[in-house]
Amino acid sequence: MKVLTRKLIAKELHQHGWIVSTVTLVGLGALAMATQGKMQFNIGLLVWLSTVIALGVIIVLTGITNERKERSLLYVLSLPLSGGDYVRIKLTGLLVCFGLAWLVLSAAALALVVLDADVPDGMLPYGILLCVYLLANFAVVLCAGLHIRAEGPMTAVVVATNMGVTIFMFTVGATPALHDHMFGSAPVWNSAFWVTLAIELAVIAAALILPLLVAARRRDHL
Amino acid sequence: MNATKHIELRGVRKAFKFFSLEELSLDLEPGQIMGLVGPNGAGKSTTIRIAMGLVAPDAGEVRLLGHSLPEHQAVAKRDVGFVSEEMKLFPHASIGWHMDFTASIYAGWDAEYAAKLTKRFNLRREQSVKSLSSGEHMKALMLLTLARRPRLLVLDEPTTGLDPVARHELLSEFMDVLRDDSRSILFSSHNTADVERVSDRITFIDRGRLVDSRDKEEFLERWRRVQIQLPVGATAPQPAHLVGSVVDGQFVTLTTDHFSDEWLASVGAGVRDVQRMSLEEIFVASVFHHREARGE
Repeated sequence: MKVLTRKLIAKELHQHGWIVSTVTLVGLGALAMATQGKMQFNIGLLVWLSTVIALGVIIVLTGITNERKERSLLYVLSLPLSGGDYVRIKLTGLLVCFGLAWLVLSAAALALVVLDADVPDGMLPYGILLCVYLLANFAVVLCAGLHIRAEGPMTAVVVATNMGVTIFMFTVGATPALHDHMFGSAPVWNSAFWVTLAIELAVIAAALILPLLVAARRRDHL
Repeated sequence: MNATKHIELRGVRKAFKFFSLEELSLDLEPGQIMGLVGPNGAGKSTTIRIAMGLVAPDAGEVRLLGHSLPEHQAVAKRDVGFVSEEMKLFPHASIGWHMDFTASIYAGWDAEYAAKLTKRFNLRREQSVKSLSSGEHMKALMLLTLARRPRLLVLDEPTTGLDPVARHELLSEFMDVLRDDSRSILFSSHNTADVERVSDRITFIDRGRLVDSRDKEEFLERWRRVQIQLPVGATAPQPAHLVGSVVDGQFVTLTTDHFSDEWLASVGAGVRDVQRMSLEEIFVASVFHHREARGE
């Protein structure tokens, strides 16, 4: 990896380090609260969910949209890199920033399902699908940030993806093949789980590959 | 063998919704300071962005330090310092962070010169970019660029919005850079006084078209305003290469871009005054003449 690429990825971590660590701590705190009772569980889960979604949006908006709006993009593009390099650096850097928090918070949430006696282990497949969905949600917002230059359409994407989380939770949670086993004492890894997971992974792959095929090949990056 | 031109644009065209750059060709030789002068919206920034590989032309050829653009911009930009009035550093970071960042990327970073410039520009390493005034921000950009000692400096309106003292400080630094005659500068501005002070070659651009490009001295030598007093009943003379003619009663003011003793002789008798023109006057006359010639 080129020195400049490494430095710019490190710059993303430097820039977003405080928000990544704050969100991780808040999310872990929310999960700790979730172990304290039924109401605390609901509130804790909601806070955990909100922090993960908000982190993804903040990282993309500050890392890409604001950089363009505040005209730091011109500075970045004056460095010895191509427009394609810029897209690849942003994709990697912001994915690493979000991925670190997502990994810790997803692992902690799934550990809660497994270790907390009050939470049925049957929730584990749904929990995994939800966590992977949140990663897919971020990947879509990131993909949009790398392609959309206008603020209006970008805001629309953020609103739509936020709504998408709720829709996902209700529709997937209401799917009989998943819902019927959710409150069981053991996780059930049926085809509904694997198909849903495969779709999520395909969305992630598409959202991460698309910028390499489209945004990175743009001739104008300003 | 000819030295590689630092910038070469050949027949560059670029169309936007409400503006287009038409058949633009220009060369920047090593050691040259070219002032790119044009009114607001003339296409100076677009030309510079194309020359830097940040915007791809619809047609034409662009070479930067011998590298074809936009394909090889990453290699070419290693030796180019680009600063624009519209450019902003990372607001969350300090000047020191940017200095360390720049030093880690460019082998030519001169820490001693950077420290000297920091002092001269009255900047401090620990200053956050967010806290900088626009003048300080431009100085910080210049510090980061000059301390790399690039072979080519591309400056897009670097003195716009600066107070006279800050402008003087920056222009003096440009002159210092040019003491090394292998380096060159492309400098865009609508401030003709700045351009006149530092440039040795000047290119006028207007409404996306190149109006004129030649050595500064040539501009200053070729352009004159000549006042004539006409005898009663005589008509104003129409010598060749007339750019403008203003009649005020018996007095006529002629403007030419081909002044010489022969031209003056062709005007005939009655010459009362021959005035040299400032670059600003030449620029304005040139732009209006070009627009008139194009029927705009």
